Amino acid sequence: MSHTTVEMENVGLHFPRSSGILASIKSLFKKNRSGFTALEGINLTVKSGEVVGIIGKNGSGKSTLLRVIAGIYPTDEGECRVRGDISLLSGLGTGFSRHLTGRENAILYGSILGHSIQTMEELMAEIIDFSELGEFIDQPLRTYSAGMKARLGLAVASAIQPDILLVDEVLGVGDPNFREKSMERILGMVEDAGTVVIVSHSFTLMKKICSRMILIHKGKILSEGEPESVIAAYYEANPK
Amino acid sequence: MVDDTPALPAMRTMGSRRNSLFSIFYQIKELSSSRDLLSQLTKREIAARYRQSALGLSWSVIEPILLAMTYYFLFVMLRGNTDKMYAVWILLGVLIWACFAKTLMGVVTSLSHNVSTIQAVYFARVIHPCVKMLSNIRITLLSCLVVIPIMIIGDLPFTIHLVWVFAAILMSGLLGFGFGMIFAPMNCSNRDLEHLFRFVTRAGFFLSPVMWTIDMALERGKLGEMVLFNPMATPLTLVRDGVSGNAPSIDLIWIAYSCGFIILSWIVGAYFFEKNQAEAVKHL
Repeated sequence: MSHTTVEMENVGLHFPRSSGILASIKSLFKKNRSGFTALEGINLTVKSGEVVGIIGKNGSGKSTLLRVIAGIYPTDEGECRVRGDISLLSGLGTGFSRHLTGRENAILYGSILGHSIQTMEELMAEIIDFSELGEFIDQPLRTYSAGMKARLGLAVASAIQPDILLVDEVLGVGDPNFREKSMERILGMVEDAGTVVIVSHSFTLMKKICSRMILIHKGKILSEGEPESVIAAYYEANPK
Repeated sequence: MVDDTPALPAMRTMGSRRNSLFSIFYQIKELSSSRDLLSQLTKREIAARYRQSALGLSWSVIEPILLAMTYYFLFVMLRGNTDKMYAVWILLGVLIWACFAKTLMGVVTSLSHNVSTIQAVYFARVIHPCVKMLSNIRITLLSCLVVIPIMIIGDLPFTIHLVWVFAAILMSGLLGFGFGMIFAPMNCSNRDLEHLFRFVTRAGFFLSPVMWTIDMALERGKLGEMVLFNPMATPLTLVRDGVSGNAPSIDLIWIAYSCGFIILSWIVGAYFFEKNQAEAVKHL
């Protein structure tokens, strides 16, 4: 039976504008309310076993929404509640250290998410296999190509089987074979009753894997529902 | 029939703001439950500092040896100081000050210099400044190994008072940690602080008993005694007492003052850090 894994209730988020040194000192004692609104009145419920796709123009608030779910940004208004472990896959190998090897980074990432070194060592064969890195796993990350970083990121983030996987603009990276594999991995997670929230500009990919889509426009949810209707709403809101 | 369905984890509120008055207790709890992560990140921090270096971590010992030789040449051979150990006292001062200054700078910039990690994954943010403190304490402990051969050559006794060396390292690291946490969130919105603290640590180097000893200041009477109000005066004196095999040469009241200052700086630092860190990361 599916259950709620993400619940956002009237969520609002404001980004402060950069300020001078005096304003910075003042902000130590009093919250700076000036700035711009990144998210406004967001109401969203995601259930286990769902793949939810988020689309919208650059700067519309898609990545910010994922970061609120991941707990990186606290809400200024409303509340965001989640159930279970979260793994955010944002950018190419983000959060990884360029100077550590792929193996060391995988262990470090696992530690950040509360997994022991032993657990990560046990998962290492699967990570190497999925990422197709072979002996490169023991090379520093600075020697990796963008595709290799993306492969390692997805391999690590999915190997630890989080309850909620947040994916931000990563699935379009890599060769067609890897994209196919990524899709299979994500769908496999969903079969295990996991939850996936994806941000991508690749509508073809989104249509294939998402059970539901959301259109974000200027920090607000403009449309929500079947992929086809949401994509149509996107083109309506953003005419060519 | 037995229900073997695993119990669902409870819903939790993300990014909830905490009561800052109890920040220090939250921080202690978070740090103690993240020991594995702290150790991993400290290892990463040290590895990054000595990256692409063939001698690696050995530099933490080689550098003080070279410094000791330089100070000996400068203060004993060239300036003709009669105290042959003077170069060692200066070296110890420099090591303890470096532990404080590097921790302070590292903590002040701990959020602003970790943008990619902070924006990619959430974990207790106090871990970032704590990693800076732990890596500096670990490196200073290694650097202080250089005093062992010096003590043997200088015929200094190995006594129980060596414990003051460890106390001094811990005190300097904790002071940099607590004090730096007050300003770490501010540095996310305004990087002027980074430059200001670079000046503060350089000025403090000369205003603290690093290149001189507390005895020299006390010879100057009342004005010299003012130096004891500097919380770094105690660890800088304790490290020298420890290596020379003597009991602390400053009154217990000043040691208590310095410890109190460090604890207070952590309480205040924890308060401002927890109150402002969530808002500060929006500037990154």
